[in-house]
Amino acid sequence: MGRIAGGFLVPHDPVMFVEPEAPPPDIRERIWGAFRTCADRLAALEATSVVIVGADHYYNFGTGCLPQYLIGTGDVEGPLDVMPGLKRQVIPTSQPLANFIASHGHEHGFDWAVARAISVDHAVAIPDRLIVDPVRVSGQRIGTVPVYIAAGVDPYLSMRRSIELGAAIRAAVEAMPGDERVVVIGSGGLSHWVGMPQMGRVNEAFDREIMDHACTGNLGAMRELSDAYILEHGGNGGMEVRQWAVAMGAMPGARGEIIEYAPVPEWVTGLGFVQLFA
Amino acid sequence: MSRNVLELVLHRLCVDRTVKQRFKEDSVGLLARYDLTEAERAMLTGFDVAAMQQHGANPMLTFGFWSENAPDRHPAAYMRALRGEAESGTYAFSAVLKR
Repeated sequence: MGRIAGGFLVPHDPVMFVEPEAPPPDIRERIWGAFRTCADRLAALEATSVVIVGADHYYNFGTGCLPQYLIGTGDVEGPLDVMPGLKRQVIPTSQPLANFIASHGHEHGFDWAVARAISVDHAVAIPDRLIVDPVRVSGQRIGTVPVYIAAGVDPYLSMRRSIELGAAIRAAVEAMPGDERVVVIGSGGLSHWVGMPQMGRVNEAFDREIMDHACTGNLGAMRELSDAYILEHGGNGGMEVRQWAVAMGAMPGARGEIIEYAPVPEWVTGLGFVQLFA
Repeated sequence: MSRNVLELVLHRLCVDRTVKQRFKEDSVGLLARYDLTEAERAMLTGFDVAAMQQHGANPMLTFGFWSENAPDRHPAAYMRALRGEAESGTYAFSAVLKR
């Protein structure tokens, strides 16, 4: 059977690519260095697959179809929203695992929407490029399974269901024949106000509250976060703590360690990196 | 009024190159195809992103719409429009966000 070998909670900030020189040099180095640290630690986990959980930014999906949660079961490329230093490319996949997660979910109360071929946006592409690709370059073969949850566009996936979705991913991985070693990456957050009048505000207190929940494995506290509370203290971008909840839900009882954190108004968000230990 | 059709149009103006070009060439003609109110049409042709948000449009869409279609696509110009601030010269995105 497969197993969840570890997890990471990381940002996917496109402004890092659009305005790379905006923050002070020491901040820039800390953040880019945090991605390198995640890559090094991923390499040490000897993963065969990563499940990257992102949120659509009203880009992949439009008013005609707004899935609560979706898994890419076929070919993957990205990002759809190319930017300086982040060109579109084919992303290696783990299609047997992705299809197994979808099928297992369908049999156990999780009606996954599926994407048989998808151009992921930066929510999946940034962690794939900065954390997974360096490990591939070093010689390990790791396939990516993209997951999207409704955190950018309402109706939002509830925090409760986000945690349950993580548990469903874990159950599928553990039910899958073979010896897959899966790392789950929750991609998103922390506080940011995308396109809102407050854009550029960062709420460090909120960010540290969420990171504390992650480090202590406090699923109950994550579950109790209301949308109103998140919107007030973390902004519309803070709704992406759902992706963290999915990863935490896949690793119940796991403790976490902060790799790096910095409030970076120049990059419009608090940038937090947490490793979850299986 | 409903935000749904407004968001439909905003999304197309974010991701569909043909729609974006038509908007640039003949915004009135393009918008006539959609079941929008006059107020909503005015928001779109006037790039009134503040009114769109007050109307319930998702801020990610208003930001994307501006970035893809506005005469001055710079995020700093978007923030000025959103905050109802007058033009006050050119300044960097990050400098605006620090305010």
